Amino acid sequence: MTEAQAPVNDEPPAGNSVFLRLATGPLAAPVLCRVMSMILTRADCPMDRLDDALILCDAISVHAPVYASDGHLALTMATDTRGIELRVGELCERGASMLLADAEVPGVGNVLERISDELRVEPSGAGGSHEELVLTLRFG
Amino acid sequence: MTLATATPDMELALPARAANIAVVRHALGAFGEAFAIEEETLSNIRLAVTEACTNVVVHAYPDGREGSLEVCATLHEEELIVVVRDEGPGIAPRTDGPGLGLGLPLIASLAGSVLLGRADERTEVRMTFPLSSARA
Repeated sequence: MTEAQAPVNDEPPAGNSVFLRLATGPLAAPVLCRVMSMILTRADCPMDRLDDALILCDAISVHAPVYASDGHLALTMATDTRGIELRVGELCERGASMLLADAEVPGVGNVLERISDELRVEPSGAGGSHEELVLTLRFG
Repeated sequence: MTLATATPDMELALPARAANIAVVRHALGAFGEAFAIEEETLSNIRLAVTEACTNVVVHAYPDGREGSLEVCATLHEEELIVVVRDEGPGIAPRTDGPGLGLGLPLIASLAGSVLLGRADERTEVRMTFPLSSARA
Protein backbone atom coordinates (compact mmCIF):
# COMPACT_ATOMS: atom_id res chain seq x y z
CA MET A 1 0.00 0.00 0.00
CA THR A 2 1.42 3.41 -0.86
CA GLU A 3 1.16 6.41 1.42
CA ALA A 4 -1.38 7.90 -0.97
CA GLN A 5 -3.64 4.90 -0.31
CA ALA A 6 -3.04 4.77 3.40
CA PRO A 7 -5.91 5.48 5.74
CA VAL A 8 -5.37 8.92 7.16
CA ASN A 9 -7.09 11.07 9.70
CA ASP A 10 -9.12 13.10 7.20
CA GLU A 11 -12.70 13.33 8.38
CA PRO A 12 -15.13 15.50 6.41
CA PRO A 13 -14.25 19.14 7.02
CA ALA A 14 -16.94 20.02 9.56
CA GLY A 15 -14.57 22.66 10.89
CA ASN A 16 -11.02 23.77 10.53
CA SER A 17 -8.87 26.16 12.49
CA VAL A 18 -5.64 27.60 11.16
CA PHE A 19 -3.23 29.80 13.06
CA LEU A 20 -0.92 31.87 10.90
CA ARG A 21 1.81 34.13 12.21
CA LEU A 22 3.53 36.26 9.59
CA ALA A 23 6.35 38.77 9.56
CA THR A 24 5.06 42.07 8.27
CA GLY A 25 6.44 42.94 4.86
CA PRO A 26 6.18 41.24 1.49
CA LEU A 27 4.86 37.98 2.96
CA ALA A 28 1.66 39.25 4.50
CA ALA A 29 -0.60 39.72 1.47
CA PRO A 30 0.32 36.68 -0.65
CA VAL A 31 0.42 34.17 2.20
CA LEU A 32 -2.74 35.40 3.91
CA CYS A 33 -4.70 35.42 0.63
CA ARG A 34 -3.51 31.94 -0.40
CA VAL A 35 -4.23 30.37 2.99
CA MET A 36 -7.63 32.04 3.20
CA SER A 37 -8.51 30.81 -0.32
CA MET A 38 -7.56 27.25 0.54
CA ILE A 39 -9.48 26.97 3.77
CA LEU A 40 -12.59 28.66 2.38
CA THR A 41 -12.54 26.37 -0.64
CA ARG A 42 -12.34 23.37 1.69
CA ALA A 43 -15.31 24.80 3.61
CA ASP A 44 -17.41 24.94 0.41
CA CYS A 45 -17.58 28.71 0.51
CA PRO A 46 -19.42 30.16 -2.52
CA MET A 47 -17.37 32.19 -4.99
CA ASP A 48 -18.90 35.58 -4.16
CA ARG A 49 -18.04 35.25 -0.47
CA LEU A 50 -14.57 33.93 -1.33
CA ASP A 51 -14.07 37.08 -3.36
CA ASP A 52 -15.29 39.17 -0.41
CA ALA A 53 -12.91 37.36 1.92
CA LEU A 54 -9.96 38.12 -0.34
CA ILE A 55 -10.89 41.82 -0.35
CA LEU A 56 -10.82 41.64 3.46
CA CYS A 57 -7.41 39.97 3.33
CA ASP A 58 -6.06 42.64 1.02
CA ALA A 59 -7.30 45.42 3.27
CA ILE A 60 -5.87 43.74 6.36
CA SER A 61 -2.49 43.00 4.82
CA VAL A 62 -2.16 46.59 3.60
CA HIS A 63 -3.18 48.34 6.82
CA ALA A 64 -2.62 45.95 9.74
CA PRO A 65 1.21 45.77 9.67
CA VAL A 66 1.41 49.39 10.86
CA TYR A 67 -0.35 48.37 14.07
CA ALA A 68 1.39 45.00 14.63
CA SER A 69 2.83 45.13 18.12
CA ASP A 70 6.01 43.12 17.43
CA GLY A 71 6.53 43.13 13.67
CA HIS A 72 4.33 40.09 13.18
CA LEU A 73 0.65 39.58 12.45
CA ALA A 74 -1.08 36.73 14.27
CA LEU A 75 -4.12 35.53 12.35
CA THR A 76 -6.55 32.82 13.34
CA MET A 77 -9.05 31.51 10.80
CA ALA A 78 -11.78 29.19 12.06
CA THR A 79 -14.30 27.78 9.62
CA ASP A 80 -17.43 25.72 10.02
CA THR A 81 -20.20 24.92 7.57
CA ARG A 82 -21.76 28.36 8.02
CA GLY A 83 -18.85 30.76 7.81
CA ILE A 84 -15.45 31.88 8.96
CA GLU A 85 -14.18 33.85 11.91
CA LEU A 86 -10.96 35.74 11.28
CA ARG A 87 -9.00 37.13 14.23
CA VAL A 88 -6.33 39.69 13.47
CA GLY A 89 -3.82 40.28 16.27
CA GLU A 90 -1.65 41.06 18.09
CA LEU A 91 -2.30 44.69 17.41
CA CYS A 92 -1.06 47.54 19.59
CA GLU A 93 -3.39 49.41 21.90
CA ARG A 94 -6.15 51.05 19.81
CA GLY A 95 -4.61 49.30 16.77
CA ALA A 96 -7.81 47.48 15.91
CA SER A 97 -9.83 50.68 15.91
CA MET A 98 -7.23 52.43 13.79
CA LEU A 99 -7.09 49.49 11.38
CA LEU A 100 -10.84 49.74 11.04
CA ALA A 101 -10.64 53.47 10.38
CA ASP A 102 -7.96 52.92 7.72
CA ALA A 103 -10.30 50.64 5.77
CA GLU A 104 -12.54 53.57 4.85
CA VAL A 105 -12.61 54.03 1.08
CA PRO A 106 -14.05 57.32 -0.27
CA GLY A 107 -17.27 56.69 -2.15
CA VAL A 108 -17.41 53.06 -1.03
CA GLY A 109 -17.49 53.19 2.75
CA ASN A 110 -15.65 51.02 5.19
CA VAL A 111 -14.55 47.85 3.40
CA LEU A 112 -14.21 45.78 6.57
CA GLU A 113 -17.60 46.85 7.92
CA ARG A 114 -19.40 46.41 4.61
CA ILE A 115 -18.11 42.90 3.96
CA SER A 116 -18.16 41.43 7.47
CA ASP A 117 -21.36 40.13 9.01
CA GLU A 118 -19.97 40.79 12.47
CA LEU A 119 -17.04 42.83 13.60
CA ARG A 120 -15.68 43.54 17.07
CA VAL A 121 -12.55 44.49 18.93
CA GLU A 122 -11.30 42.28 21.76
CA PRO A 123 -8.42 42.72 24.18
CA SER A 124 -5.63 40.18 23.91
CA GLY A 125 -2.18 39.46 25.28
CA ALA A 126 -1.05 39.49 28.87
CA GLY A 127 -3.27 41.85 30.84
CA GLY A 128 -5.20 42.81 27.72
CA SER A 129 -2.40 45.09 26.58
CA HIS A 130 -3.01 44.28 22.93
CA GLU A 131 -6.06 44.11 20.68
CA GLU A 132 -7.58 41.72 18.18
CA LEU A 133 -9.96 42.64 15.41
CA VAL A 134 -12.49 39.83 15.05
CA LEU A 135 -14.41 39.57 11.77
CA THR A 136 -17.08 37.04 10.86
CA LEU A 137 -18.18 36.19 7.33
CA ARG A 138 -21.22 33.96 6.87
CA PHE A 139 -21.91 31.93 3.79
CA GLY A 140 -24.01 29.00 4.88
CA MET B 1 19.81 37.70 17.12
CA THR B 2 20.73 34.03 16.79
CA LEU B 3 18.75 31.70 14.61
CA ALA B 4 17.60 29.75 17.65
CA THR B 5 15.87 32.82 19.06
CA ALA B 6 14.66 34.30 15.78
CA THR B 7 10.91 34.45 15.33
CA PRO B 8 9.99 32.57 12.15
CA ASP B 9 8.95 34.67 9.17
CA MET B 10 5.96 32.36 8.80
CA GLU B 11 4.37 30.04 11.33
CA LEU B 12 1.39 27.89 10.44
CA ALA B 13 -0.45 25.65 12.91
CA LEU B 14 -3.41 23.56 11.83
CA PRO B 15 -5.07 20.18 12.38
CA ALA B 16 -3.01 17.26 11.03
CA ARG B 17 -5.37 16.32 8.20
CA ALA B 18 -4.44 15.27 4.68
CA ALA B 19 -6.46 18.14 3.24
CA ASN B 20 -4.43 20.65 5.22
CA ILE B 21 -1.19 19.60 3.53
CA ALA B 22 -2.44 21.54 0.50
CA VAL B 23 -2.79 24.62 2.72
CA VAL B 24 0.86 24.25 3.74
CA ARG B 25 1.95 23.82 0.11
CA HIS B 26 0.10 26.95 -0.96
CA ALA B 27 1.49 28.96 1.94
CA LEU B 28 5.02 27.87 1.00
CA GLY B 29 4.34 28.76 -2.62
CA ALA B 30 3.31 32.27 -1.62
CA PHE B 31 6.34 32.49 0.70
CA GLY B 32 8.63 31.53 -2.18
CA GLU B 33 7.07 34.02 -4.54
CA ALA B 34 7.28 36.83 -1.98
CA PHE B 35 11.01 36.22 -1.55
CA ALA B 36 11.66 35.42 -5.24
CA ILE B 37 12.91 31.89 -4.57
CA GLU B 38 13.87 30.15 -7.79
CA GLU B 39 11.08 27.89 -9.09
CA GLU B 40 13.13 24.68 -9.11
CA THR B 41 14.34 25.26 -5.56
CA LEU B 42 10.82 26.11 -4.43
CA SER B 43 9.52 22.95 -6.03
CA ASN B 44 12.07 20.88 -4.07
CA ILE B 45 11.18 22.70 -0.85
CA ARG B 46 7.47 22.05 -1.38
CA LEU B 47 8.10 18.37 -2.10
CA ALA B 48 10.28 17.84 0.97
CA VAL B 49 7.88 19.71 3.25
CA THR B 50 4.94 17.78 1.78
CA GLU B 51 6.71 14.53 2.70
CA ALA B 52 7.37 15.74 6.23
CA CYS B 53 3.74 16.84 6.64
CA THR B 54 2.49 13.55 5.18
CA ASN B 55 4.56 11.70 7.78
CA VAL B 56 2.81 13.72 10.49
CA VAL B 57 -0.66 12.99 9.08
CA VAL B 58 0.01 9.28 8.56
CA HIS B 59 2.26 8.40 11.51
CA ALA B 60 2.14 10.98 14.31
CA TYR B 61 -1.32 10.21 15.65
CA PRO B 62 -1.86 6.47 15.12
CA ASP B 63 -4.63 6.22 17.72
CA GLY B 64 -6.96 8.29 15.55
CA ARG B 65 -7.04 11.37 17.75
CA GLU B 66 -6.71 14.65 15.90
CA GLY B 67 -3.41 16.34 16.59
CA SER B 68 -1.64 19.41 15.39
CA LEU B 69 0.70 20.05 12.50
CA GLU B 70 3.00 23.04 12.78
CA VAL B 71 5.20 24.44 10.03
CA CYS B 72 7.67 27.29 10.56
CA ALA B 73 9.73 28.92 7.83
CA THR B 74 12.62 31.28 8.42
CA LEU B 75 14.75 32.97 5.81
CA HIS B 76 18.28 33.25 7.17
CA GLU B 77 20.98 34.74 4.98
CA GLU B 78 21.05 32.47 1.91
CA GLU B 79 19.16 29.57 3.50
CA LEU B 80 15.56 28.74 4.13
CA ILE B 81 14.94 26.76 7.30
CA VAL B 82 11.64 24.91 7.50
CA VAL B 83 10.64 23.08 10.68
CA VAL B 84 7.70 20.64 10.73
CA ARG B 85 6.47 19.72 14.22
CA ASP B 86 3.86 17.46 15.74
CA GLU B 87 2.79 16.29 19.17
CA GLY B 88 3.05 12.59 18.41
CA PRO B 89 5.19 10.04 20.24
CA GLY B 90 8.25 10.56 18.05
CA ILE B 91 9.91 9.03 15.01
CA ALA B 92 10.52 5.29 15.26
CA PRO B 93 10.82 2.43 12.77
CA ARG B 94 7.45 0.83 11.97
CA THR B 95 7.19 -2.66 10.60
CA ASP B 96 3.47 -2.15 10.01
CA GLY B 97 3.83 1.27 8.40
CA PRO B 98 1.43 1.99 5.52
CA GLY B 99 4.02 3.80 3.40
CA LEU B 100 6.99 2.73 1.36
CA GLY B 101 9.44 4.29 3.79
CA LEU B 102 10.73 6.71 1.18
CA GLY B 103 9.72 9.93 2.96
CA LEU B 104 12.80 10.66 5.06
CA PRO B 105 15.33 9.57 2.40
CA LEU B 106 13.51 11.79 -0.11
CA ILE B 107 13.62 14.73 2.30
CA ALA B 108 17.33 14.10 2.88
CA SER B 109 18.00 14.13 -0.84
CA LEU B 110 16.10 17.38 -1.43
CA ALA B 111 17.26 19.42 1.58
CA GLY B 112 20.79 20.64 2.23
CA SER B 113 20.56 19.19 5.72
CA VAL B 114 17.94 17.51 7.90
CA LEU B 115 17.78 17.20 11.65
CA LEU B 116 15.27 15.02 13.46
CA GLY B 117 14.66 15.89 17.06
CA ARG B 118 12.32 16.01 19.98
CA ALA B 119 11.81 18.87 22.42
CA ASP B 120 8.98 20.06 24.69
CA GLU B 121 6.97 16.88 24.02
CA ARG B 122 7.06 17.61 20.31
CA THR B 123 8.78 15.90 17.42
CA GLU B 124 10.40 18.05 14.79
CA VAL B 125 11.98 17.68 11.37
CA ARG B 126 14.26 20.64 10.67
CA MET B 127 15.16 21.07 7.00
CA THR B 128 17.65 23.58 5.69
CA PHE B 129 17.56 24.52 2.02
CA PRO B 130 20.38 26.51 0.48
CA LEU B 131 19.04 29.21 -1.81
CA SER B 132 20.72 30.29 -4.98
CA SER B 133 22.71 33.47 -4.40
CA ALA B 134 21.11 34.79 -7.58
CA ARG B 135 17.46 34.49 -6.63
CA ALA B 136 14.99 35.04 -9.43
